[in-house]
Amino acid sequence: MARFLLRRFGLALLTLWLLATIVFLGAHVLPGDVGRRILGPFAAPGAVKALNHELGTDQPIPLQYWHWLSSAARGRLGESLSFRVPVSSLLGPALLNSLKLALVAFVLVVPLGVLGGVVAGLADGRPLDRLVTVGGLSATVVPEFVWSIVVILVFAVKLRLLPVTAQAPLGSGPLTQFHYLILPAFPLVFVLFGYIARITRAGMIEALEADYTRTAVLKGISRRAVIARHVLRNGLLPTIAVVATQTGYLIGGLVVIELIFNYQGIGQLVYLSAQKKDFPLLQGTVLVIGIVYLTVTLLADITYSLLNPRIRYGSAE
Amino acid sequence: MDGLQRRFDEVRADRTELENHLIDELAAGRLTRRDFVRRGTVLGMSAAVLSFVAAACGKSTTNTNTGGSTGSVKKGGAMTVGIIAPSGAINPLTVADEGGLAVLGQAGEYLTWSDKDLKLSGVLAESWSPNADASVWTFKLRQNVTFNDGTSMKAADVVKTFQAHSDPNGKSNALSAFSGVLSPHGVQAVDDHTVAFHLDAPNGNFPYLVSSDNYNTIVLPASYDYAGKYEQKFAGTGPWKMTSFKTGSEVAYEKNPSYWQASAGFPVLNNLTLKFYDTEQPRILALQSKSLDVVSQFSASTGQQLLSNPSIKVLALRSSAHRQVHMRTDKEPFTDKLVRQAIALLIDRPGLVNGLFNGKAEAGNDSPFAAVFPSTDTSVPQRTQNVDQAKQLLAAAGKSGGFTVTLATWNGYEIPLLAQAIKAAVKQVGGTINLSITPPGTYYGDAVFGKSPWLDSTMGITDYGHRGVPNVFLGAPLTSKGTWNSAHFHNAQYDGLVKQYVAAVDLSSQRAVAKQIETLLLDETPIIFPYFYSHLTATQSNIANVEPTAMGHIRMLQAGFTS
Repeated sequence: MARFLLRRFGLALLTLWLLATIVFLGAHVLPGDVGRRILGPFAAPGAVKALNHELGTDQPIPLQYWHWLSSAARGRLGESLSFRVPVSSLLGPALLNSLKLALVAFVLVVPLGVLGGVVAGLADGRPLDRLVTVGGLSATVVPEFVWSIVVILVFAVKLRLLPVTAQAPLGSGPLTQFHYLILPAFPLVFVLFGYIARITRAGMIEALEADYTRTAVLKGISRRAVIARHVLRNGLLPTIAVVATQTGYLIGGLVVIELIFNYQGIGQLVYLSAQKKDFPLLQGTVLVIGIVYLTVTLLADITYSLLNPRIRYGSAE
Repeated sequence: MDGLQRRFDEVRADRTELENHLIDELAAGRLTRRDFVRRGTVLGMSAAVLSFVAAACGKSTTNTNTGGSTGSVKKGGAMTVGIIAPSGAINPLTVADEGGLAVLGQAGEYLTWSDKDLKLSGVLAESWSPNADASVWTFKLRQNVTFNDGTSMKAADVVKTFQAHSDPNGKSNALSAFSGVLSPHGVQAVDDHTVAFHLDAPNGNFPYLVSSDNYNTIVLPASYDYAGKYEQKFAGTGPWKMTSFKTGSEVAYEKNPSYWQASAGFPVLNNLTLKFYDTEQPRILALQSKSLDVVSQFSASTGQQLLSNPSIKVLALRSSAHRQVHMRTDKEPFTDKLVRQAIALLIDRPGLVNGLFNGKAEAGNDSPFAAVFPSTDTSVPQRTQNVDQAKQLLAAAGKSGGFTVTLATWNGYEIPLLAQAIKAAVKQVGGTINLSITPPGTYYGDAVFGKSPWLDSTMGITDYGHRGVPNVFLGAPLTSKGTWNSAHFHNAQYDGLVKQYVAAVDLSSQRAVAKQIETLLLDETPIIFPYFYSHLTATQSNIANVEPTAMGHIRMLQAGFTS
C-alpha cells in the first residue's frame, strides 16, 4: 500500500504540473492582453502599456512561465493581476466556501441517492422503481441554473423561507451558514440524485443476480442479512467511484450555482480569473481543483480496495 | 418691477461675457430654462444666480425630477446596495467599470458633480470660470474640507490628483479623456484654494472632465502613493468611511464624522454596505426577496419583473448610453454611402425601443447627439424606417441583387438581439448578414487596428456608456485619426466641425455646429445609432433620495428610509 501511495503521489505531481502548463499555454492563446482587460477597450494605449509593464505581462511568455513555476514550486502562487492581492488570500476563503457548500450538498444527496437506488434495485421493474428512475432522470436533465431560479423564486422570493444568497453575513456561526447553504444545495440534490440513484440501482441489481447472493440465499441466510452483508457491500462499489467524481465537481465545478447564489467559491473564482485573463489566479484555482480531484479519487480507490477484498493494490506490486 | 430690473442689471454687471451671452439667449427664448440652467452650471454660475436670472426672465426654476424619488427620510439606519462587482482592484487610476466607480464615489469626491439632468454642481470646487476662449479654467476650492485621514484638502492635493491622471506615461484610465486636452504641467496651484487648468486646446465643456463623469478623478491627498493599494484605507473626502472590505464580495462603510457636510446632517444613514454581484439576475432576485434595499443598475430585459412590481420603485434616467453599428466606409459593400443609408433606413427604431427596452430608451438619429444633450439640435429630421426608399437606394448603388457581409459583436446585454434584428431587417431587401458573436474579450481583442474585430470588422456593434457631453463620442469613434474609428470614416469637413464644437463655449454656438454635424452624419451614415437607453435603478418602496447617475454612480448622501 505504501508503494502504491508513493507512486500515486508522484503521478499526482506530474498531473498537476501538466495541468498548470496546459492552462498557462491555453490562457495565453486567448486574444487580448491583461492590461487591456483591466483598463477596458477604451483606455489609451499608453496607459495599457504602462500597466502591462507594471504587472510584468509584457515579458516573454517563457519567462513569465518560469517565474510562475519557480514560485509555485516554493509554494508561492503569486499575486492576482486584477485584484492585486496574493492569490492564496483569495483561494483560501473560496476553497473553504466551496467545501462548505459541497458538504451540505453531499450530506443531502448521497444518502438520498443511495437510498433511492437501493429501493429501486430491490423493487426492480415495479412502480416504485419506475418512480425513482424516471423521476430522478427527469430531475437530472433539468439544468442546474433552471433549478436554481425555480427554488429561489419559490423559497426565497415567494415564501421568504430561505435567503436568496448563499453567502452568510461576515462572522456568522455554523448554524446560520448552514441556513444560507440549504437553498443552493437543493439544485445539486435534484441534479445529482438521479445519477447516483441509477448507478446504485444498477449495482444493486447486478449484486442481487450474482452467484454469491444466490448461494447466500440457498444457505438459508435471511433476506435482510443477505442484502446487508453481500448485496450492499458489492452493489455500492460503483457508487463510490461516482460519488468521488461528483465530489470534485461539487468543489470545483459549481460555476453556475455560485454565480446565481452570489457565492464566492472556487467555481466562481475560475470563471472570473479566466474572464479577466488573470493567469496567476487561474492557475492557482485550477491547481486547487486538480488537487481536490486527485485526492478524492485516491480516497475512493482506497475505500474501494477496503470494501472489495479481491482488489488489493499494494499486494499487486 | 424697477427694483427687480435694477437687481437684474446688477447681477449682469458681475457676470462674464460668456455668462451674459447665455442670459441673452434665455431672454431671447432661444434657450429653454432647463438648457439655461445646465449650461450655466458648466460655466460655473451659482444656483442662486441661475434661479434669479431665470425668474427675472419669466422662467420658473422648479425642480425637474426625471424619476428619482425624493421625500423626507428618517435619520439613521443601515442600507445594503447591490452593485455590479468591480472587475478588479479598487484603484482610482485603473478602475474602468461601473462597479468600481460606484465604490470610488462613496469615500471619494470630485471637484464637480454631474447630476441626473447633466447639470453640474460644485462638490470640492465652490465655483469655477473659464477665460475668454475657454483655454484656462480656474476652480476655487471649498475650504474646511478634510480627508478621512484628518489632513486638510488644499490645491496641492488637486494638482497632484490631476497630474497623475493626465500623465501620458501613466496608467490612468482617464488618460483617454485628457489626451489632447490637459497635460500634467497645465495643472497649477494659484493659491492654497485655487487651481488653474491651462488646457492643451480650448474646451467649452472642460468642467465635465473634472466631474463625476470622469469617474477616476476623485481628489486624493498629495501624499497618496499612486503605486500603493487604495483598498487598504479608501482615502478621500467623502461622506463614507470604509470599515471592512472583502475582495470580490462587499465593502462596508460608516458615516464619516468629519465630513464637511456632517453639520448639515449628511449622510443621513449611519451605515452603508455595497454588495458585489457578478451577474444581474441574482441581484434582481435579492431585491425581490428584500435581501437588498437598492439595486444600482439593471437592464429592462432582465429586470422586466421589477418594472411591473408595485412594491419596487424604479428610477429611470435618460442617458447617452448607446450601441454603435459601424459600417466600414472603406470596404464593400459599404464604400457607397447609399448602401449605408439604406441599411439605416431598414431599422425599426421604435420597435427596438419597445422590444428591447420596454420603452425605456429613445430612438437615435445616427449621430452621437442624444436627445438628453442640451446641445443637440432637435430640428434635424428623425430618420425612420422606410423599406421602399432603402430598396431604391440599393438599386441606385447597384446592390439590388443583394450582398453578403459579416457582422461582428459580443455576447452581452441586448446586443445579440439587436444583431438578430439587423440581420432580419436586411433580409427584407435581399441582403445576407452572417453573425459572429463572441465573448467581449475576443471582440475587443487588443483594441488597436489590425488586432481587434471591433476595429477591423466590416460591420460590428459596439457598446458605449453614458457621457455628460458628446465630446468623446464625436472624437475617437468618428474623426479621421480617431483611435476607435471602427467605421474607418475619414471626412475633413467633419473633423473641422468637431474641433469647432469642442472649442465652442456658449450653447447656441454648440447647437449651431451640432446641427451641421448631425446633418453631415445623417448623409454619410458611417455609424447607425439605433437608440439611447435609460439608466434604471430600483429601490424598495420605503426608500427615498437615492441619487443614481447614468454614469453608474449611486450617491447615498441623502438616502434614507421613509418608514
